[in-house]
Amino acid sequence: MPDLTLDELDRDGAIRETLEEVSGDTRAAFLGKAAVGGAALLGALAAPGRADAAAASDVAILNYALTLEYLQSSFYTEAERLGAIKGKLARIPRQLGSVERAHVSAIKGALGRAAVKRPAFDFKGVTENQTKFLKTAVAFEDLGAAAYKGQAARIKSPALLAAAISIHSVEARHAAWMRFLAGATPAATAFDEGKSIPQVRSIVASTHFIAAHPKKRARRKPKYTG
Amino acid sequence: MTALTRAFAVASTAIVAAVIVVLVWPHSPASSPAAAQGVTLPASPRPALQVPRPVLLSHSAGTSYWASVRRGVLARAAPSRRAWVVSPLTTATPEGTTNIVLVLGRSTDRAGRLWVHVRLPVLPNGQTGWVPREALGVYGAVHTHLVVDLEGLTATLLRGKRAVLRAPVGVGEPRWPTPTGEFYIRNVLTRFSSPFYGPVAFGTSARSSVLTDWPGGGFIGIHGTDLPQLLPGRVSHGCIRLRNEDILRLQKLMPVGTPVTIR
Repeated sequence: MPDLTLDELDRDGAIRETLEEVSGDTRAAFLGKAAVGGAALLGALAAPGRADAAAASDVAILNYALTLEYLQSSFYTEAERLGAIKGKLARIPRQLGSVERAHVSAIKGALGRAAVKRPAFDFKGVTENQTKFLKTAVAFEDLGAAAYKGQAARIKSPALLAAAISIHSVEARHAAWMRFLAGATPAATAFDEGKSIPQVRSIVASTHFIAAHPKKRARRKPKYTG
Repeated sequence: MTALTRAFAVASTAIVAAVIVVLVWPHSPASSPAAAQGVTLPASPRPALQVPRPVLLSHSAGTSYWASVRRGVLARAAPSRRAWVVSPLTTATPEGTTNIVLVLGRSTDRAGRLWVHVRLPVLPNGQTGWVPREALGVYGAVHTHLVVDLEGLTATLLRGKRAVLRAPVGVGEPRWPTPTGEFYIRNVLTRFSSPFYGPVAFGTSARSSVLTDWPGGGFIGIHGTDLPQLLPGRVSHGCIRLRNEDILRLQKLMPVGTPVTIR
């Protein structure tokens, strides 16, 4: 199976926006939010004498991880709910979904009010198609493992690094499992390369899976029959 | 050997042993690398996160799914481009919210195209249709179901099989009857200034079959009232009226996309 890039699976651009919030373009605003909302985490992560900026950087990395976990957990959860994935793949959404939701829960709990909000996702039918589902699962798990690895050297807090590695190894196991199911070599290289935030952003943005939240409320006088 | 000699021998042995230890120990392959370098490793840090045990989704019988309409599309009678058109679907409601449809099923045509079977907000009430998946956007799940009993003049909100709210309602007068059938909540309007509708109004996919020229298309709402003394009763133009305190409770409990049964 060739390496997957998700290019064929998505088309519109809101993941870019979310990742940019934690990686660059609106970083100042984000760190401002982190400084207020993530006080508990900053306190927990910061070693004595560590600059606040270092802890804030860890919060930004954690939010970056949270965005990816949102993507993965929403993907598997939707697939499980819709019930369209059958046969040898039938238990994948249920099993991986529960794990990715646990990751979300843990990271959100640590970030508190500094956690970025869950975006809306439009998986464009991929959660309802066996072949596309598996290809996307391979891509998502490869991406998750590479993204955690890519940030490992930038994490300032040893406690956070320990936590990130404990998640990273699970993502790597998932990746190997999905690759096996897809008929691809589970571990094709002796050394894995990590992926930087811009690399991950580019891949995720190419999917266009993140969508605008549907507008469900309005502030206008009703015209119902009364 | 005298006692003094024995003591000297013991002391000499001890000194030699100590020297050997000092000289040999740092180079012993059995020693730890840290000790070999004179470094004391700190204890491993506790992970900053406690990842909880994975929790499986509960599959209650009362879960329903909705989808937003991402682009204008023709809903068809069957999952085929050649099937006759039931109704056009727009991306927005008359209230300016995203148009959503209730998902009933799916099918793939011979060309491999995925179609979704949806409930439609059109007249005559109760119609369903098929739309290509690419015309839809975000999916959502709800675990609630509203049942309106036109005989008993009550509204009951179920979560799963459990009733979480029951309230008296006002429904349509005989000349403007509230339609019966299966519908869903399309949107919620708040912060408007109209005592007649109360503080909150839900839009439904149901439409009056009598007041078809009503502004906005004659959609049936579920809303509050400034005449609570009329409830329960057959007092409306087809809408379902609740006391303001009840509609406010409903606002907290009933998400958009909730199926509605009127019987």
